[in-house]
Amino acid sequence: MRMRDLAGVAAAGIGLAAVPFFGLPAFYESFLYLVFHWIVLAVSWNILSGYSGYFSFGHGAFFGAGMYTTATLATKAGVPFLWTLPAAALVAAVFGVALGAVVFRLPRLRGELFALLTLAVTFVLATVVLNTPIDGGPGLYLSAVPLPAIGPSPSSTFYLLGLALALTTLWIAREIQRSRLGTGLFAIHDDEDVAEVLGVPTYRYKLAAFGLSCGLAGIAGGIQAMFISYVTVGETFSIAVPLNVVLMSVLGGSRHWFGPAVGAAAVTALLYAFTAGDYAVAGRAAVGLILILVILFLPEGIFGELIGALKRRRASVTPAVDASDLPAPSAAGPGKPENRPLLEARGLSKAFRGVQALAGVDLEVRRGEILGLVGPNGSGKSTLINVVSGHFRPDSGRILFEGSDLAALEAHCIARSGIARTYQIPRPFAHLSVLENVALPAMFGRDAQARPDAEREARRWLAFTGLAGKAMSLPGELNLHQRKFLELARALASRPNLLLLDEVFSGLTHAEIDDAIRLIREIRARGATIVFVEHVIRAVMELTDRVVVLSYGRVIAEGDPRAVMREPDVVTAYLGKPRA
Amino acid sequence: MLEVERIRVSYGAAPAISEVSIRVGAGELACVVGPNGAGKTTLINALAGLHPIEAGALRLDGRDLSRLPRHAFCGEGIAVVPEGRRLFAGMSVRENLELGSYRRAARARRAASLERVCEVFPVLRERLEQPAGTLSGGQQQMLAIGRALMAQPRLLLLDEPSLGLAPAVVLAVFDVIREINAGGVAVLLVEQNAALALELAARAYVLEEGRIAAEGRPAELLAQAEIRRAYLG
Repeated sequence: MRMRDLAGVAAAGIGLAAVPFFGLPAFYESFLYLVFHWIVLAVSWNILSGYSGYFSFGHGAFFGAGMYTTATLATKAGVPFLWTLPAAALVAAVFGVALGAVVFRLPRLRGELFALLTLAVTFVLATVVLNTPIDGGPGLYLSAVPLPAIGPSPSSTFYLLGLALALTTLWIAREIQRSRLGTGLFAIHDDEDVAEVLGVPTYRYKLAAFGLSCGLAGIAGGIQAMFISYVTVGETFSIAVPLNVVLMSVLGGSRHWFGPAVGAAAVTALLYAFTAGDYAVAGRAAVGLILILVILFLPEGIFGELIGALKRRRASVTPAVDASDLPAPSAAGPGKPENRPLLEARGLSKAFRGVQALAGVDLEVRRGEILGLVGPNGSGKSTLINVVSGHFRPDSGRILFEGSDLAALEAHCIARSGIARTYQIPRPFAHLSVLENVALPAMFGRDAQARPDAEREARRWLAFTGLAGKAMSLPGELNLHQRKFLELARALASRPNLLLLDEVFSGLTHAEIDDAIRLIREIRARGATIVFVEHVIRAVMELTDRVVVLSYGRVIAEGDPRAVMREPDVVTAYLGKPRA
Repeated sequence: MLEVERIRVSYGAAPAISEVSIRVGAGELACVVGPNGAGKTTLINALAGLHPIEAGALRLDGRDLSRLPRHAFCGEGIAVVPEGRRLFAGMSVRENLELGSYRRAARARRAASLERVCEVFPVLRERLEQPAGTLSGGQQQMLAIGRALMAQPRLLLLDEPSLGLAPAVVLAVFDVIREINAGGVAVLLVEQNAALALELAARAYVLEEGRIAAEGRPAELLAQAEIRRAYLG
């Protein structure tokens, strides 16, 4: 499949590259150059914004940075045109990475704030360029810069440059989509916090995507500067560039590397068809109308819907897998409680806006045990899980896991050291299939498996949790019970040493709880150590070796479940009435 | 009071529930039990106007509601505690509660209702000005219940109110449900804690695979060994 793809692309590339040598009129070459130009901008934009969902309205800034780099180097420093292009890529990429290094650190700047910020950066850059010697106001003329004769005519040279860059950009976008980077970006799109906790280095991935995206836009800018041969701030940093790019990607479908190319070709052709005649206004209105119709009826974009339909047809035949060859969830060997601690928390504190969620918790989790964590609502149980898994950093205290301190580590490093968790309210990646959801932690967890191995592993855990039949479904099609088990399968797929379960039993019927109890026993038998937060007292009593009771962020009791549940403090703070 | 007659609700092509008929008398407390995936949440959402009803009739005091727009269900005096809480996370606890009393009849009694909710869940009083999204899971569940109570409903639909609550709070919540019901509010309760639900209910339905598999007084249902085993153990 892969080889056939590549051969097809190569053949198409050679065929298209041969076109200028058959004497195509210059008008068509220029038109096709423009199509390639927009393909590069839309596809490169999509690498960050489509894959990871960080909608940027700043693509014009990076495109403009490339334009001005080429224009400045070629006119003022006498650098040959082709040599300015790597510089254009570099300047745009460095600019993007520097911006990202600040912005991606701040979780507040997701969604619309990121879009507005990137738009603002465009205007700042425009002002800087306009009021410094880079431009200074009159614009830069490139008409005297010599154009290398790559094709038989100047227009064919632009055609060939555009074609080469478009193919390169498409190839890069395709490779990213199929790589770990792409998987991580799509996970960030759906739920960045969960992606990080499952082992995806989100900060680095966003920076890499942003850098590549900006660099490609920079080269497109460099070529465009030469093509229009007169560069002005007003034209370069106009809102039209980011708007067109967003429109093209949404129209074509932003969840697939090829989607934006379809959108770019369609929009460019439409606009050109109308501006060529006397219907420029009608043309713009038509494009707007088409966009509205696509958003209404093809929310995944033209190409996205096409691919989706194909996938669904293929999904109907899925290989059967049974759970018989299940691997051990942990390398630690069959589970039996030992006295050596696997995890130790010392003086752990965490406050939110004045609410002290954890107030100096000391806790020990012993190797191979099942530890129950109970306590009133708001006593800090989920916060404890969030702190151990790296979702929050503790204000003070230490967390020792197999002897090394986790408190300063980023969440994805904690995941890789062998800790996995589930969420109280399931948080699956909504746009990834159930199989992809479970394969992701296997790719990014301790063993960092390649995709085919990770998918095989995922199928085993789906069989184990009874979800094998749902592998190709989207999480939205599952009921609560199945979504809870999806959380469990996803946590298991990274083969953790320590499994943190946050209320997996809530909302299950009596019979379903029996099944879940069997499942947890089986997981422990395979070697994992388990901490679980639970209000279903029956499950706590049947499963745990020890319980720890939290109240107002402190440990108020711990030890044998039967003894602890009879302590008067526990009864009043938690149970409400005595239990046998 | 509530008459549900052979309704069908679908997601996509497959019906999630079909031919489901349920009655809740004035001031009565009815409960629905069943395994996950049976369609309980779908049923609650349909009765709350959150999901369109394809076939069948939905009547409240004889008035047909099945063609009513979504927002009008609240005006008819139906309040719901939905699955997954669905709070307004960025708004404060107080604002969430006040939005619960949006309907005219409830607005007049807003202060008294708020006081009542804070009595039942003292922790909410401490957190009134805090954004709802910063509450713990169980506290959010309390807020979702509180928000429904603020509506001064005639019919209260509860989708697993005990989900994620500590045992002591579960008992408190069930005391409140009992009390509200005693005050004349009809209640339809979906609950996995079947022991508690069946103890409270005057009438119970077992929903399996989208259909009503059994119905009757709780004692009658519990006399059947199969039902006992599945829901009480």
